Amino acid sequence: MPGLGTSVGRGGATTAQQSLADSDAILIMGSSMAEQHPVGFQWVVEARERGCRVIHVDPRFTRTSACADMWVPLRAGTDILFLGALIRYVLENDRWFKDYVVHYTNASTILREDYVDAEDGAGLFSGWDDEKKQYTPETWLYEGSEPKQSGGSHAGHHPAGGGHAKDRGGEAGHSEQFETDETLQHPRCVFQVLKRHFARYTPELVERSCGIPKDVFLKVAETYIAASGPQKTGCICYAVGWTQHSTGVQIIRAAAILQLLLGNIGRPGGGILALRGHASIQGSTDIPTLYDILPAYMPMPFFEDDAKNFEAYVKKHTTEAGLWSKFETFMVSFLKAWYGDAATKENQWGFNYLPRVTGDHSELGYWLDMADGKLDGLFVMGQNPAVGAPNGRLQRKAMANLKWLVVRDLVETETASFWKDSPEVERGELRPEDIGTEVFLMPAAGPAEKSGSFTNTQRLLQWHNKAVDAPGDARSELWFAYHLGRMLKERAARERNAKNAALNALTWAIPTRGSVGEPDAESVLAEINGRNLTTGKLLSTFEDLKNDGSTMSGCWIYTGVMPEEGRNRANIREAKDSLGHGWGFAWPKDTRIIYNRASARPDGTPWSEEKKFVWWDSEKREWTGKDISDFKKDMPPDHKGDLSKGGLEALDGDKPFGMHPDGRGWLYVNSGLKDGPLPTHFEPLESPVRNPLYPAHQTNPPTNKKERPDNRYANSPGDPRFPFVLTTYRLTEHHTAGGMSRALSHLSELQPELFAEISPELAELTGISPNDWVTIVTPRALISARALITARMSVLEIEGRQIHQVGLPYHWGWKGLVTGDVANDLLALSQEPNVRIMETKGLVCNLIPGRHPAGHAALDELHELLEERP
Amino acid sequence: MSDAGENRPKSSVREERLDEIRRQASERGSLQQPGVRAIGSPLPKASPQTGYYQQPLLKQPQWTPLVPLYFFVGGASGALGVIGSLADLLGADDELALKARNMATAGSAISSVFLIADLGRPSRFLNMLRVFKPQSVMSVGSWVLSGFGASAACSTLADILDTQVDGSAISSFLRSVGRTGCTVLGMPFHNYTGVLIGASVIPVWNNRIRSLPREFGMSGLQSAVGLLELAGETDSNALNAIGLVASAFETWEGLELLRARDREVAPTKEGLSGALIQTGGVLSGPVPIVLRLASLFTRRRRRGLRHAAALSGIIGSLCLRYGWVAAGTASARNWKIPLDIPDQEEKQSSQELAARG
Amino acid sequence: MSGATDHTGIQPGEITAFLTDSTLCIGCKACEVACKEWNDISADGFDFTGWSYDNTGALGHATWRHVKFVEGQITPGIGGNSAEQFSWEFSSDVCKHCEVAGCLEACPTGSLVRTEFGSVFLQPDICNGCSYCVISCPFGVVQKDEDDGRAFKCTFCTDRQKAGLMPACAKACPTESIKFGRHDELRIEAQVRLATLQARGMADAQIYDPTDSSVKGIHSMFIIRGEPETYNLPPKPEVPSIYLKEGWKSAAFEAVAMVGAVVASFFLLGRKG
Repeated sequence: MPGLGTSVGRGGATTAQQSLADSDAILIMGSSMAEQHPVGFQWVVEARERGCRVIHVDPRFTRTSACADMWVPLRAGTDILFLGALIRYVLENDRWFKDYVVHYTNASTILREDYVDAEDGAGLFSGWDDEKKQYTPETWLYEGSEPKQSGGSHAGHHPAGGGHAKDRGGEAGHSEQFETDETLQHPRCVFQVLKRHFARYTPELVERSCGIPKDVFLKVAETYIAASGPQKTGCICYAVGWTQHSTGVQIIRAAAILQLLLGNIGRPGGGILALRGHASIQGSTDIPTLYDILPAYMPMPFFEDDAKNFEAYVKKHTTEAGLWSKFETFMVSFLKAWYGDAATKENQWGFNYLPRVTGDHSELGYWLDMADGKLDGLFVMGQNPAVGAPNGRLQRKAMANLKWLVVRDLVETETASFWKDSPEVERGELRPEDIGTEVFLMPAAGPAEKSGSFTNTQRLLQWHNKAVDAPGDARSELWFAYHLGRMLKERAARERNAKNAALNALTWAIPTRGSVGEPDAESVLAEINGRNLTTGKLLSTFEDLKNDGSTMSGCWIYTGVMPEEGRNRANIREAKDSLGHGWGFAWPKDTRIIYNRASARPDGTPWSEEKKFVWWDSEKREWTGKDISDFKKDMPPDHKGDLSKGGLEALDGDKPFGMHPDGRGWLYVNSGLKDGPLPTHFEPLESPVRNPLYPAHQTNPPTNKKERPDNRYANSPGDPRFPFVLTTYRLTEHHTAGGMSRALSHLSELQPELFAEISPELAELTGISPNDWVTIVTPRALISARALITARMSVLEIEGRQIHQVGLPYHWGWKGLVTGDVANDLLALSQEPNVRIMETKGLVCNLIPGRHPAGHAALDELHELLEERP
Repeated sequence: MSDAGENRPKSSVREERLDEIRRQASERGSLQQPGVRAIGSPLPKASPQTGYYQQPLLKQPQWTPLVPLYFFVGGASGALGVIGSLADLLGADDELALKARNMATAGSAISSVFLIADLGRPSRFLNMLRVFKPQSVMSVGSWVLSGFGASAACSTLADILDTQVDGSAISSFLRSVGRTGCTVLGMPFHNYTGVLIGASVIPVWNNRIRSLPREFGMSGLQSAVGLLELAGETDSNALNAIGLVASAFETWEGLELLRARDREVAPTKEGLSGALIQTGGVLSGPVPIVLRLASLFTRRRRRGLRHAAALSGIIGSLCLRYGWVAAGTASARNWKIPLDIPDQEEKQSSQELAARG
Repeated sequence: MSGATDHTGIQPGEITAFLTDSTLCIGCKACEVACKEWNDISADGFDFTGWSYDNTGALGHATWRHVKFVEGQITPGIGGNSAEQFSWEFSSDVCKHCEVAGCLEACPTGSLVRTEFGSVFLQPDICNGCSYCVISCPFGVVQKDEDDGRAFKCTFCTDRQKAGLMPACAKACPTESIKFGRHDELRIEAQVRLATLQARGMADAQIYDPTDSSVKGIHSMFIIRGEPETYNLPPKPEVPSIYLKEGWKSAAFEAVAMVGAVVASFFLLGRKG
């Protein structure tokens, strides 16, 4: 998400799945879209049938590859090499979309003299602090941009995290101040820096290190690039295959750079489709369950000087140009939603009721605290970390240190029963009588048993209406959270002190219905949408929000979903056009393709008749077209930005990326990303190969490996104990950790056993019989799976030797109709620098024919493998 | 969904079974089960040469062991009905004819029981009589069975009435109906089961559509003769002659079958089904011929020889029925025949794969 | 698009059909699941087969849609949609609803009937489990459920069709690989599609609709790549009724011979006195 946020301004897909039908080329990478987004994939097939070329880049030949025109195998973890090579190809061969790049991106912006690129720093950018293992972004700022830091961290660079909030990036400096060279010749302009940065990402390097034959790479490049320009567009689809890497954010950045160079963002059939990994995960970052952001991607305040008071906090995060110049308005309206009458100008709108981030409160962060016995209690709702989180053994043993654990789910998941039947108990590592965790298993209502909204991968809110009552004691999340809050508030009301001040201030008046007291979900949506507190009327656009406390909105990007009483736009299913207007509500403002100003020329006319989308109607003096314009409706294309006015009017009329203070798409991100302004290839944390570009820096420098005895890593590169590359993924038939799908017979019978996909060559090399058991070992654990021998796992030639890859889906656990070992036990708990996500897509392993022994003998075998074979 | 109980995994591959498979592989050098394969063996494949992973296309017959028994009893009953009615007409041995008729009645009742018990939903057996479909051999057979059973019952009822009252109109009416019905319906009843299995998709059965009705029919005739002889009618040269004709026929059929070279008929010569059919053929063919001919030349041992011939014929008939049904199951397992895949190509492709390692 | 309106507009009396186009199939198995959910069919085994991603195995009494997976040649640079190579094909199998149906002809209770939509429907309230249909289907579709006692197969969602809806599998299919509509229209559509595919160079694309066999064509047509044998589709399926004439002739001959033998024997050797 920060990859997209910093590049274009919002951390979400830039387009709708329906728009794929208009693409001329679709590059699917870091995703097996046909398997994981089968319904959305229908538009890929539609495009393909119309002549669009579909390219799938993946270490395995998957069901997506079977539907694509080209399949490109690559070594897991070399995505930046591949994308970088495409970028280089575009630049070297002059195939970039000139007018688009010059006017709509920061290609012409000039950087500071003291900026040192990774190419000149042997892998490190300027500003690296080797002790703290982090960057200071000051040298990355534009020339002329004053740093903004006043007493805390640079925005987005706090060691405790906060990557998600920096979806807009650039707040470390006044990025609205800068100089440009529109001829793109200045040696320190972004364009030239970009060229130098990617100069060594050659097709030869791709062949040597990714394992992609040169002719195949060139064919991909030509095919994809041919689908760009005024009359053609291409789209890039990615998913968790990119995000779950130690360089995940940078991989996405590379895709964004490519799309900006080719002029694809904001245009029909173009853009970047971030395929999120779960039905409502977009929603879970919009209205976040993340520790570092508040709703609508506003940053959670940190425990630092910059957040001591509201004024300083607002000053730090407000930009002088672009939509975020309204930061105070959004923040005040949000605080009014949470604290109602208890939020006044006098008490800084209740700003100090908000908690402060004091450390790494990310899931992987606090789980390690849990493992060290520092956490008392935990709520686990609709998640199954015993199976679904990396380093399963650590996950489960950590839970044994809790005093209490509340699990809310549809079935008794492995997380709820870890204390009695986990592999640790089976192996004797844990004994139920020694585990002091009190586990509360609360039954949860299923999807058809509650009302509410999903926000899917294309920012689309769709309402679900309750169809039946949940059985027995099963309750919805809303019911649980609401009544828990209500009871806590009742208690806080009896003890009014400083500790309970925030609880007492919280507004919590949601009407409830029925015998169980189900909160009215639409009332919550109304609060999210926002209201004018003086008139009591619902708001129809976030442009009506004020900073004087007279408006409230729980999530300003959703404003407009409920523009008047009784009209829930998320609940309407009447598609009026091929993009789906009339079906649900896409934030912001039901814009389906964001940044769509870029679908018109600088002068406001469409780039071409074929790709006409949003354009300036010079008679009516407004932007019009096939979508809501993601631009100030009445601002003409020839408008000259006026900094004194602030906001969107501070930007020129030909700057589509209004979330950025310079209105441009960022090829180069001057601050906000902790691992660099430009994507740079580093090997995964475990790799059989040395970093071909920067031998001195094998892995992404600011990545946190969290290396400890219960979270060991292989020696990289080339640990002889673990010679094969392992990648994990999903199957269509199951859902994540399998809690829901392994309880259903109709799904369980489709994929009943955990299997590993192994090439015939590797099977012969290691002596594995087809369909027999094979044991997979990593430094963390060993598990057994059935061996599915298939030519779809290819062998790659890397640096003159053969690298074998093994594929493993991760849906199995020990409960349910079908059971299997937990694939996540093999993974290490690592944290990508910006979003703290683990690396699941590229690690190393070894294979042993046969099934691992039961009980403690399995651990003995693991220790033997780790220690006795140096 | 209240799945939990009913849908426990019925057969998952567990470790013990895999160990068993490995042991089997090392002992025999080959595996019979689908699934696990020896290291380096050709991977399961779907192709024009191997079909869909060498999985049989056709479904196996789902009859219980009661069905071949029904074939046997029904075949004999039908022939008994014909014998019992015709013997009467021709003024032959009254006692023999009466026994035949009684056995026919008993047999039709018993075979009905077998047929009904084999049904998946026995209580719905009467649904067989909802429709009459000439293109369905089973429909025709159900009606024939019903008609024959009714006729045989009429005959027996007439016989009973005759013992009570001489020359009543009812009994002569029943006798005519019964004799006519048993003759006319006994003809199809005793051999339609050959058509029943022959008119199916099972290759070994439909390949032999012409011979099966004849074989089943003559086998039924021979069983009828045998049953009568076991019931004491060892003195009837007519029966012996009928028996000889039947076993001569069976011998000829058996030789014809041996000469058939189509790969569809392989199950009649290989495996358990082959053993049963060949044994049945011998016991129904040459053995009774020898015994029956011998019985013509001795008075003292006639009874013993004819009993032996009867048993041989009956056991042979049972073996044949069970053998043919088993052959059907084996034939349904052949994945090549329904796809018209010749045998050599499969050998060639597996050699190729083995060579490629 | 199977979009806003659910109703097909097809009236009873109009013959409907499936056209299952493998070149659009993504192997998601939504058809299998939708069918089981709609018809409330139980699971039929949790066995890992190792046949690519197909753990279902075959159609049967508890599987009425079955997605087959066939792996071919895998080459870097070439995707599955490429005309030059057969890489990984998916094909959703279903009851063929034959024009001349072996199961229908064989059924002695009249349970199997031809519906007003031209489909072959097995009425579970009449079936008594004689299992004769099982050995009369040249495609190996219908099967008896040993626990229940009756035979079952795809109903062509006749209940849904009666309400003007399309079958559950077609409804669930995200790419409209399973097309449902009027038989004559889909026959034409199949030809058009084949021509399109062949124009793209996909020389191995075929329509599977065995009209020149005794089955006389099927209402569930397929577009496949490669040979039908690869998918266990018989190149020349025959309904067993083609054997009836020879069978009954033979039976008649033997019956006459039997009567002749009995008459002759009793006449010559068996008369009293």
